[in-house]
Amino acid sequence: MGKKLQIHSALACDVLIIGAGGAGLRAAALIHEQSPDLKILAVTKVAHPQKSHTSTAQGGMAAVDPHDKTDNALYHMFDTWKGGDCSSDQNVVKKIVEGGWEEVQWMERRGIHFSRDEGGSISKRQFGGHTVEFGKGDALRAVFEADRTGKGIMDTTWGEALKGGAEFINSTVVTEILFNEGCCVGAVLFKTKTGEFLTVQARATVLATGGSGQVFRITTNCRNNTGDGLAVILRAGLPLMDPEAVQFHPTGIVGPGILASEALRSEGGILRNKDMEPFMERYAPKMKDLAPRDIVARSIETEIREGRGIMNPDHRIEHVWIDLRHLSAYVHEVKLKEVASFFQTYCNLNSRAQLCPVRPSNHYHMGGIPTNEHGEVQNSAGEIVPGLFAVGECACASFHGFNRLGTNSLLELLVMGRSVGERALSCLKENQAPAPKGAGEATLAQFANYAEAQGKENVGLIRKEMRDMMTRQVGVFRNEQGIQDAIASLTDFKQRAARAAIATKDLRMNQELLERWELDNLLDNAMTIAQGALMRKESRGAHFREDYPDRSDEFHFHTLISMTDFGKISFGKRLIDMSVFAAKGEHYEQFRIMPRKY
Amino acid sequence: MSKIYSLTLVVQRYDPDTSRAWRQTYKLESGPILRFVDLFRRINVEQDATLAWASSCEHAQCGSCSINVNGRPMLACELLVENAVNLFGTTEFNIAPLSVAPVIRDLVVDWDKAYERVHRAKPYIIKPKELPPGMSENRISPGELARYEDATRCINCFCCAEACISSNRNFIGPNAAMASIVRMMDRRETEKEERLDLLYSEEGIYRCHTSQACSHVCPKKIDVASFIALAKEGAF
Repeated sequence: MGKKLQIHSALACDVLIIGAGGAGLRAAALIHEQSPDLKILAVTKVAHPQKSHTSTAQGGMAAVDPHDKTDNALYHMFDTWKGGDCSSDQNVVKKIVEGGWEEVQWMERRGIHFSRDEGGSISKRQFGGHTVEFGKGDALRAVFEADRTGKGIMDTTWGEALKGGAEFINSTVVTEILFNEGCCVGAVLFKTKTGEFLTVQARATVLATGGSGQVFRITTNCRNNTGDGLAVILRAGLPLMDPEAVQFHPTGIVGPGILASEALRSEGGILRNKDMEPFMERYAPKMKDLAPRDIVARSIETEIREGRGIMNPDHRIEHVWIDLRHLSAYVHEVKLKEVASFFQTYCNLNSRAQLCPVRPSNHYHMGGIPTNEHGEVQNSAGEIVPGLFAVGECACASFHGFNRLGTNSLLELLVMGRSVGERALSCLKENQAPAPKGAGEATLAQFANYAEAQGKENVGLIRKEMRDMMTRQVGVFRNEQGIQDAIASLTDFKQRAARAAIATKDLRMNQELLERWELDNLLDNAMTIAQGALMRKESRGAHFREDYPDRSDEFHFHTLISMTDFGKISFGKRLIDMSVFAAKGEHYEQFRIMPRKY
Repeated sequence: MSKIYSLTLVVQRYDPDTSRAWRQTYKLESGPILRFVDLFRRINVEQDATLAWASSCEHAQCGSCSINVNGRPMLACELLVENAVNLFGTTEFNIAPLSVAPVIRDLVVDWDKAYERVHRAKPYIIKPKELPPGMSENRISPGELARYEDATRCINCFCCAEACISSNRNFIGPNAAMASIVRMMDRRETEKEERLDLLYSEEGIYRCHTSQACSHVCPKKIDVASFIALAKEGAF
């Protein structure tokens, strides 16, 4: 890179929001509404907030309408608790569920284009796992904007943050969090567009950097979801919680990995292996293709592992088929229009005449940066880190426990986004502590290392190999030997990465340099996922150990994991909050530890 | 056995360090259903790590990966090799960045500059309608929503602005205009005057020459021109 790396400028603001997706900008909008004079800086890795991963959420947002006589917050809380395999924090579940409808109204008044019923009211639809009367019937609980609810939420939160006067710094990543005597006082940023490093002093810092789905080869997550915020937290000596809690959707479309919705199977789609056998009959003789997500995902993986999958020659991805050919024209053209169009667009297949390729796809990270119910970040002793907040997929409060219900993530990012905004306001310190001496030096050293590295390794190739390996060994199925091997591979990848020279010398939009940094972040994330999965000798929610297929009360806690040096792990525990059960209120017995059986 | 195409990609490149612009040829073999983003990723791994290109969601929902392929603005994430070969009748493709914003490097443009137009159009409700007493939400019938719902699907990929014969000069551009038109049609917006001032301003919709290129290239298949036509008539 020739020139010595340096901090280009130092900025100051009241609230620094890192990650301008739905959660971060909901916090920004709240702060603007309550304290219009505060200076907010909203930073995003993508080229513009509207390009955030929030925009890709399709189906809906769960929220209990208080005017709905058939639904009740307690039912939604129960579904979330049970769906999360009794591993959510009940105080968080209560808070988020009870705050849902207020957010629906907030967005409705600010222009979201919710789908409407004939009377002009907001429409609601059913989603898997959402029930009334504690599992007795299906709940109509998800509000939606056609098949683009996330986009509606993104456009609304972005619009409100823009209207309120937030300043945006786009195409920019966080490389380091700054502390002064244990308080967070801002962060170091790298503007990829201009190639400049800067320090930002802030009275409150909010991390809303999103997920880490790029750890896996097949994922619904966008290219930018490389777990950057989580890696930065680890380097600051702070812990992650439940990293092993990773959700896989059973039917991702080969190619982009995007979801082929559950509706394919509920409308009568049949999964088949390479011999055309309808194999779900063997795994779930009664429910067959309608078995729960995790069972279907494991069945497909088993078929592939035992050699009954099909290799897609273009993408080099093994898959099974979903057969929709026998379904009526009406189902194809009306009920499955959206998914059918995905197969056409990404595979050039007509689902009415041809078999369509699907396989399990990484979807969501339940784990993340541990926070309390206000989004305040905690250290490994469970103490609040003053001035630092986390919200959205990067955070773990924990609302979803070890398995997330569909439509609960959009709900979480709005309620917790608002809550973090409120909390940040109430905690703002009068006098801003200065940034520490040498702020940014660690970042500059890290990037200088990347820039000066010598060797013939290729960052893109290592990333690809790592994603393949994690999908194979720490994905839907996990076992002791497989995870041990994965940890050894990750250590090897880390060493190889150090031997990757970067040919692009100029810092402006230096994709090679950014991807080199992302690779370190991905490796950090992968290592904590693997280590958490190895430690947790049981199966819980989306975490499935072949060698320990049952849930064990011995592991009824949240994993805390710290890793300041790659591979050097220390574990801690956080209790799972069961305050709703303990309060012995109405229906409290539904919040006991129970089997997750449907 | 899947068909194999021998492709030639001639990519317009730019290095901000030396201000050098050049065209670089990459040859690669590909099956029919790889997408252009997959080809770029393969070029990075197999041939040239320095090629910079933009994408994010990679399933046509964020509009980050817009490029010109043989002169036509398209999303690289949903352009399959097979479809590109059929569409253009060739296996050689000229790939260039959009021209609606300055190039930073190779295929990556400065979206901040492109988005300035959308921000001028105020992509939010400027002044929301007060709810009638006793109401907690607005009522909007499906029929009323259907009039402008298609325009709300816009992802600001700027393919329309790229294809528009007017938008490189004085016109605010089809997508930015549409951001304001939607809110003219949305009953929750009460600040119609300010919106009309923009739509009928020097950079407003009368700059549009009605070529309808916007509708023709829109990856989301929005009939952008029809919304601009409504606005020209004042038929919000």
